[in-house]
Amino acid sequence: MQLHRLFLPFAVGLFCSASLATQSPFAPKVSGPLSQRVVAYQIDAKYDPAQHTVDATETLTYRNLTGKPLDRFPFHLYLNAFQPKATWVREAHRDGGFRSSRVEEWDEKDFGSNEVTSFEVVGMGDLTKQMKFISPDDGNPDDKTVFEVRSPRPVAPGQEVQFKIKFRAKFPEVIARTGYKRTFLLAGQWFPKVGVWWHGAWNCHQFHALTEFFADFGTYDVKITLPKNYVIGATGVQTSDSDNGNGTKTVAFHAEDVHDFAWTADPDFKVIESEFDGSVGPVKIRLLSYTSHKSSWQRYVDVLKGTMQRFDRWYGPYPYAQITVVDPPHGGEEAGGMEYPTFITAGTEWFAFKGDHETELVAEHEFGHQYWYGMVATNEFENGWLDEGINSYSEVKVLDDMYGRNASSVNLLGAQEGDASVLRGYYLPVAETDSLSRPSYTDMSESSYSGVTYGKSAAMLLSLETIVGEQTLKNALHTYFMRYRFTHPTQEDFLRTVNEVAGRDLKWYWDQAVYGTQVFDYAVLRADSTPTNWYEEDATEKPGETMYETQVILQRKGDFVFPVEAEIKFDNGESIRERWDGKDRWVRYVYHKKAQVRSVELDPDHRITLDRNYLNNSYVTKAQRGATEKISTYWMFLTQLLAHLLSWLV
Amino acid sequence: MTEETMASTKEGLLAAGASLLWRRRGILWWVFAMNIALGAMGTLPAAMQLNKTLHHTLAGEQLFKGFDLGMFYELLRVPEVNLFRFKTSSYVFAVLFAVFMLFISGGILEVYRQDRRRIDTGDFFAASGAFFWRFVRLLLFSVVPFVFLGSLYQQIDKFSDYVGDKVVTDQISFVIWLAGMIIVVLLALFVRLWFDIAKVRAVVLNKRRMWPNMWHACVITVRQLGTLLWMYLRISLVAWTTLLVAFLIWTKIPPTAIWATFVLLELVMLVQLGARLWQMASATVWYKRQAEAVPADFMDFTTPQPQEMPEPEPQLTLYPETELPPADA
Repeated sequence: MQLHRLFLPFAVGLFCSASLATQSPFAPKVSGPLSQRVVAYQIDAKYDPAQHTVDATETLTYRNLTGKPLDRFPFHLYLNAFQPKATWVREAHRDGGFRSSRVEEWDEKDFGSNEVTSFEVVGMGDLTKQMKFISPDDGNPDDKTVFEVRSPRPVAPGQEVQFKIKFRAKFPEVIARTGYKRTFLLAGQWFPKVGVWWHGAWNCHQFHALTEFFADFGTYDVKITLPKNYVIGATGVQTSDSDNGNGTKTVAFHAEDVHDFAWTADPDFKVIESEFDGSVGPVKIRLLSYTSHKSSWQRYVDVLKGTMQRFDRWYGPYPYAQITVVDPPHGGEEAGGMEYPTFITAGTEWFAFKGDHETELVAEHEFGHQYWYGMVATNEFENGWLDEGINSYSEVKVLDDMYGRNASSVNLLGAQEGDASVLRGYYLPVAETDSLSRPSYTDMSESSYSGVTYGKSAAMLLSLETIVGEQTLKNALHTYFMRYRFTHPTQEDFLRTVNEVAGRDLKWYWDQAVYGTQVFDYAVLRADSTPTNWYEEDATEKPGETMYETQVILQRKGDFVFPVEAEIKFDNGESIRERWDGKDRWVRYVYHKKAQVRSVELDPDHRITLDRNYLNNSYVTKAQRGATEKISTYWMFLTQLLAHLLSWLV
Repeated sequence: MTEETMASTKEGLLAAGASLLWRRRGILWWVFAMNIALGAMGTLPAAMQLNKTLHHTLAGEQLFKGFDLGMFYELLRVPEVNLFRFKTSSYVFAVLFAVFMLFISGGILEVYRQDRRRIDTGDFFAASGAFFWRFVRLLLFSVVPFVFLGSLYQQIDKFSDYVGDKVVTDQISFVIWLAGMIIVVLLALFVRLWFDIAKVRAVVLNKRRMWPNMWHACVITVRQLGTLLWMYLRISLVAWTTLLVAFLIWTKIPPTAIWATFVLLELVMLVQLGARLWQMASATVWYKRQAEAVPADFMDFTTPQPQEMPEPEPQLTLYPETELPPADA
């Protein structure tokens, strides 16, 4: 979708619900519409905290921009995934769990549901009885996460249709980005949501354990009635808050040019507010947290400001008026680390050490999704790497810039780890399982999905920097964001943009790194020096005088072909860098010098994180014992301590 | 007269125990040496493999000049290096050390009981051997309370999780868990104390039947719980505080100063082992003082049961039932 089409004026009042809004959902220098606004949701919901249920009426206005008459409409009912025979539970059980949820035994607390009690198409009557559950992905007859209805007559291109839906949502105890914990509720994927007409067909996948979501842009006007002691936060901006006089209140929210709506509530929430002054004006940061997490409040604010500032400068402006950050309570971690438009959930601990940047990492990552998912709304079911992978790459860039490249994840008690290394840790065990281009929901397992989608994607982009340069890739992401924000681009759109900005065809790279499963492993096979006069009987070696022949052999052990650089150091302090196209299985370099080789190192700047084995990337002629002695010292101490503890018992 | 009895019996138990530990410090050196030796043997296979993998690669620099967790993870991923593969070796040598400590406990307590100026190696090992199987029986008996404590810990953990699910204040579950842990640690100290008193009693009185001895020791420990537990707790606190101080010092040591780290860690081990021996020495001092302060029949706490066979004559002259030999004997 081209950008200029997004700003075409729409019929007044068609999709804009601004009459309800008293506050703009955008930053001061931004005015909508920013997207095509295919949908307009109006939801009136009532929350029952005792039952963890929501009873709601939903009015969905759908605008047919497909260019074809439509008489079939699929809808997501995501909460039905949390039922024993549903596809989500089957897959999570198969893979031994989902994130921190183990899904080994069924517990009634895990049960969730979306029950549609009434489905009416305005002007066409009540179609409740025509609702039919479908399972387009796996044919599972017990999966009720997608239903479809056929309208008695088609909706013509350019015309709109209105659905009036009554439903009840029952939330599970927090699992997979939604649910309750004690008085806390994260209401995600809670309402019937229409599928996306994409590339000439409906795209409405079942809810899978391995992937996330996909929806059309539009407007949301949501009223939520709940006990008045609850503190609430949601997508968009709050437009009203009225006391109903019966112990409840009704809070209204308004959002434009977003493709989902989530909300949270808890009477124990503390609200911390701050402001980021971006290129399109100030953006309110609204943090909902707990007193027990007080030590992390400033950390959240700092990392968000740092992240927003860098995204604004590197990729483009954040156009919304507000970002709401939810810090789930202890025990509610499964609600953490999730993104919804203008609304993210993070996560921290009571005793979060400052040198452990996990708190910052999660908040940064989820904010990054406002760009890679929120605005550049790729299909998460099919191309998870386009949001998670690009976002993980951005995460590395932001955190490295903020905390240092080698300590951006951990810098604690003498131990360090960079974020790139953390992501590489996901990728290494599954390096040859799934390609990035494989539909994400069909990946081999949860570890393969996360290893490939997050880890390999980030490694792929970080390694690409050695080919096109860091700044060029940054420019490419900027172009990609500005060009495809508020649309649903494909992976080809992304790859094409990088090619275009880099000014070269990178097909050879995409074929291996995106479409293929080739394994990247280059190694130093040999490095030694021999006196050139070795054949003389009484030859003696004299430093600085004897001539040596140095042989260096580099080897490509994997099937991934990539140009690599090697640094050869000699004992006279001389250093040489060689660049090998990496196509052959091996290459030999020979030097004649009055010096012996001291070390050879592939990728001396440590940029190629796709390389599967770092341990064979270098060779030192002089034995290195420091690391061995260090680890052995600690290992021995632990053995001694264990021995002492055992002896204490006897 | 022993040195301890020559000294003022009004000397505090901890000081008397520490003094005894220091006078018989040869034991500490031997225990420490054995701990180092077995620790080194347990580490050797892992160290050899690490050396084989890292000695010709620059990758180790990231572990030496700092500690790169990513590189460490990378190292663990290499099948032949995977350090967890070598944990069995550490376990084996740790168990060997525990068996060794069990074996020499009799000798240690006998030396502490006699408190002679010179330790006769032959006597030491003779006493070790004489009490070994009795202490094995005590160890088997002690499994029951220790398993109970393990089970109690699990229940506390479950309960704190349960409370965490229900209560509004999300830290309450942690507070419950922490309180539960303190109780478990105190109970564990009590069990250790109880069986230490049983061992001391077995050595001092040359008791052979461990079942009644264990129950007598239990009664003694419960009656003097405040004094004894406070004694053990203070020694433990010294050990834990040392650990904390060492940790703080460790954070200041440069990452490449391996020898300094080694020395610090070994000093920590020395203090930990010393604290354990200090507990044993203090328990011995306490028991001997009780023996001297109260009539012999009270020392046994209960009238001998009719079915109990009379104690056979001690085979070693090292175990007088009532009178302690003079220090210069």
